[in-house]
Amino acid sequence: MNDWDAFSAALAAALRLVWLVPVLPLFAAVLIALLLLAARGCGDSGERLSAALASGTLLGALVVLAVVDLAALLGVAPGHLVAADWLRIGRVPVRVSFALDAYSLPAATLIALVAWITVRFSTRYLHREAGFSRFFLGLALFAGGMLLIALSGNAVMTFVGWELAGFSSWLLVGYAWERPAATASAQFVFVTNRVGDAGFLLGIGLAVWSAGTLEWAWLAGDGTMATVTARLLAAGFVLAALVKSAQLPFTPWITRALEGPTPSSAIFYGSLMVHAGVYLLCRMQDLLLMVPDLLLVIALIGLSTAFYAALCASVQSDVKSALIYPTLAQVGLMLVFCGLGLFWIAALHAGLHAAWRVVQFLLAPAWLNLARRPARPVPRWLAGRRWLYTAALQRLWIENLVYSLLIRPTLALGRDLQAFDAQFIDPLIGTPVDDSHPSRSVVAGGLPHRPGLAGWALTAVARRLEDVEGQLLMSGDGALERVLRRTAGYAGTVEALLEQPRYLMLMVMATFAVIL
Amino acid sequence: MADPGSWPLLSTLLAVPVCTAGIAAVDRRASRVRWIALTGALLTLFWALLIVAAFDRHDPGFQFVESADWIPGVQIRYLVGVDGLSLLFLPATALLFCAALVAAWQVGSSAASLSAGPYFAWLLLLEAATLGVFCALDTMLLFFFWELMLPPLYFLISLWGSGPARELVARRYFLIMLVGGVPLLFGLLAAALSFSGGPVAFDLPTLQARELSGPTAYLVFLLLFAAFAVKVPVVPLHTWLPSLAMVGPPAVIALVVGLKLGAYGLIRFAIPLAPLAARDLHWLIAGAGAATILYAGTAALVHSNLRAILACSSVAHVGLVVLGLATFSVSALQGALLQLLNFSLATGGGFLVLAFLQRRSGSTAVDRLGGIVARMPRLTAFFLLFAMSGLGMPGTSGFPGELLIVVAALHSHTGAGLAALFGMILAAAGFLSPFRKAFLGVPDNPDIALADDLLPRELACLLVPAALTVAIGVWPMPILELLRPAAEAWVTTIAGL
Repeated sequence: MNDWDAFSAALAAALRLVWLVPVLPLFAAVLIALLLLAARGCGDSGERLSAALASGTLLGALVVLAVVDLAALLGVAPGHLVAADWLRIGRVPVRVSFALDAYSLPAATLIALVAWITVRFSTRYLHREAGFSRFFLGLALFAGGMLLIALSGNAVMTFVGWELAGFSSWLLVGYAWERPAATASAQFVFVTNRVGDAGFLLGIGLAVWSAGTLEWAWLAGDGTMATVTARLLAAGFVLAALVKSAQLPFTPWITRALEGPTPSSAIFYGSLMVHAGVYLLCRMQDLLLMVPDLLLVIALIGLSTAFYAALCASVQSDVKSALIYPTLAQVGLMLVFCGLGLFWIAALHAGLHAAWRVVQFLLAPAWLNLARRPARPVPRWLAGRRWLYTAALQRLWIENLVYSLLIRPTLALGRDLQAFDAQFIDPLIGTPVDDSHPSRSVVAGGLPHRPGLAGWALTAVARRLEDVEGQLLMSGDGALERVLRRTAGYAGTVEALLEQPRYLMLMVMATFAVIL
Repeated sequence: MADPGSWPLLSTLLAVPVCTAGIAAVDRRASRVRWIALTGALLTLFWALLIVAAFDRHDPGFQFVESADWIPGVQIRYLVGVDGLSLLFLPATALLFCAALVAAWQVGSSAASLSAGPYFAWLLLLEAATLGVFCALDTMLLFFFWELMLPPLYFLISLWGSGPARELVARRYFLIMLVGGVPLLFGLLAAALSFSGGPVAFDLPTLQARELSGPTAYLVFLLLFAAFAVKVPVVPLHTWLPSLAMVGPPAVIALVVGLKLGAYGLIRFAIPLAPLAARDLHWLIAGAGAATILYAGTAALVHSNLRAILACSSVAHVGLVVLGLATFSVSALQGALLQLLNFSLATGGGFLVLAFLQRRSGSTAVDRLGGIVARMPRLTAFFLLFAMSGLGMPGTSGFPGELLIVVAALHSHTGAGLAALFGMILAAAGFLSPFRKAFLGVPDNPDIALADDLLPRELACLLVPAALTVAIGVWPMPILELLRPAAEAWVTTIAGL
């Protein structure tokens, strides 16, 4: 019995180290970045070092997680562990806290395992590629972000992981930075993810003021929260979840993300990041259960995504796309489960699905070797309906719609604003300077070509005064000049008188008299 | 130094760059003058850090106050001091000036260019004036330092800038800032003279203790707001910044953009001098902030020069700070100050990177660049880090500040807070698109295809801001706690009325 006490005490002490799990891969990312900065990340030795860093830290994270898992299984682990205070928003502390429950621990263990397997796989797969270390930097950053999402006990730390995952997606998708298509896709992925991030921040902001806490466990409050507030609050997080899980209408980013050159990066979207949204929904289930209408929306979106993905899946002609659409369909089904309130089924489904897709995506490059049979043709019911076929091929034109409804108008607005600056504000203030046509803005005499409203008024007044002066002085037979000379003579006399001390004294006394 | 109160720490801080500027101005040898200037700047930095170390973190009031009669007849005094709000701007300014000096190392080394002595002298004079603004507690002293910043900038831009339009742009900048100085002067005078019965006073503590009321308060606040809005800049007074960024010497632009004096003026003078009016006009501050975020964020999408883009996005960022001020909450003020310090690191650092890039490629126009990462991976990495900090990426110093401001804004000005969230998306698009075109892809500009990566001295002057960016981003607590007492006092003064 004594041994058991000592053992559980040791386990409880080891639990304090749970912060190492997300920090270790992040630390590896920092180290690899420093290696790259010191130009030591290239060559075979650099490759070995950065791969060892990434896989070693992930293995370490896995070991710590195994201990935590054991503690949780033995019932030693608390459900919620606070490691430190990070900062305070008004009276609400933002903590470095961890949720150690039946949702987070399996998810984190799976993530660490998948990430570790992928790192091991990529060490061979990417051997002697240019940018090997950069790829591992992205992988480590991504693994850290995902582990943070899984383990974090509060919204801000989850958001940190959320953003890190988004940023590392950008790094991984844009891995082949020479190719315009890859960098364009990376940009698309990042900006789309940013929409979800904005929703997440909205949720955080509302949580601080309405729930008074950021910890997931208490986010639902004590049941006194107004439904309107709960709905708004949940809507922010749900938006974030929909974007991260690539549900309608945010699906296009995930096919773009497949631009990543290796299956290793693809599996992140195929198996891990795409489930982050589902995980987030499970995490905030208490809150969601307070707003049934939002649950209905989630279920509907999940269902329509499932149909959409199934339709698109049947016409894809490359392996990765043919895998990602079924993935999306499954994730849509998970959302349907969430919408029905069956969060545990969704979580179970997500875990099993993620594990299966890893294998599939890792085998994708070798598919032609493994399959030994031609790809299945498009199903007959679809091939017969040309309009549906076209729609499926074009992925329902969602990307085109986004382009023409959002991106192009925004750019046009930007151009309008620039024109407004150049043609309205600048003339008002003065000196529009066009660097490419310097001759237009520079004129002789030094005054700016278009001096602006104020400058123009000033110039006009000056010119008028000059005219008046010119007329007074130049016209006539010099009478004015004579008057001026005479006045100057008087002034000289007065000055000479003033220079005598007694008159100066008189002046000063007069001044005082006036003032007093 | 046994007793920090015995030695005039702040006056020494101001005197060091002035003296160095004097030496640099008379010395004719370029090789020596830059070492003199760098020594002066490093000494200033060291002194600023000393002040931070000697600062009492729990005292919300002004510390190291020095007072001397300046114009005794009208109670104008030489009164300097710092509190938690202004303290950290001193080392940030000093650090940025050190980096800018190193970035301008090559000035005067080629035969065709102007000599280096005056350049460094003006730069150091600018440093003294900037530090003076952060220290000044007398409104007329503030005005003095405020206007003293203009001549160095005018000469730095018109003589050492690039492009044929530099003189025009410098003149316009000078004129706009002078015009901005007029409401500042009138606002400060109105604040000083507007008390029936009381003596004329120009020092901030006295003015803050008095209570402005009625139309005078509105007059003072609106005048000061207009004056500082020009400097911030707030839409629609922002057009000078992108054009200035295009022609100014990049290292100088790093200073102009990196040091957000306008926002500091709002925090220190405009709002505390007329708190009642400021609270009544919170919608004006929040509206100006939100409009600036959206306007500049959208305008940044279509510019085609990295410098103009960075200038536009910095305008958008400072709009977020202005929005944060409108909430009058402790956390938002902490966030706003943290953001301002972050700008010195991130925007300043970004412009320094562009300065190095400009020296290699001869241009920062996006369509003349491309594939920079192939030859200059480190330069690209630094630019990426600073830009990510500007986007508020967790792990960089931009995140905590943005989080604090957005959360507070969502509470008190929900619409403006939503605008800030939308600005977040715009900022990401506005940065990634030019970054992709300029830094990624295949190099076709021969200057870039042959350029070298960062030199050791350039690396050195970027490493410190980069390390600070990451360190503050990971653990912002010490700085926020340092800001807390003064921020709480500020909010209590404003809200307690």
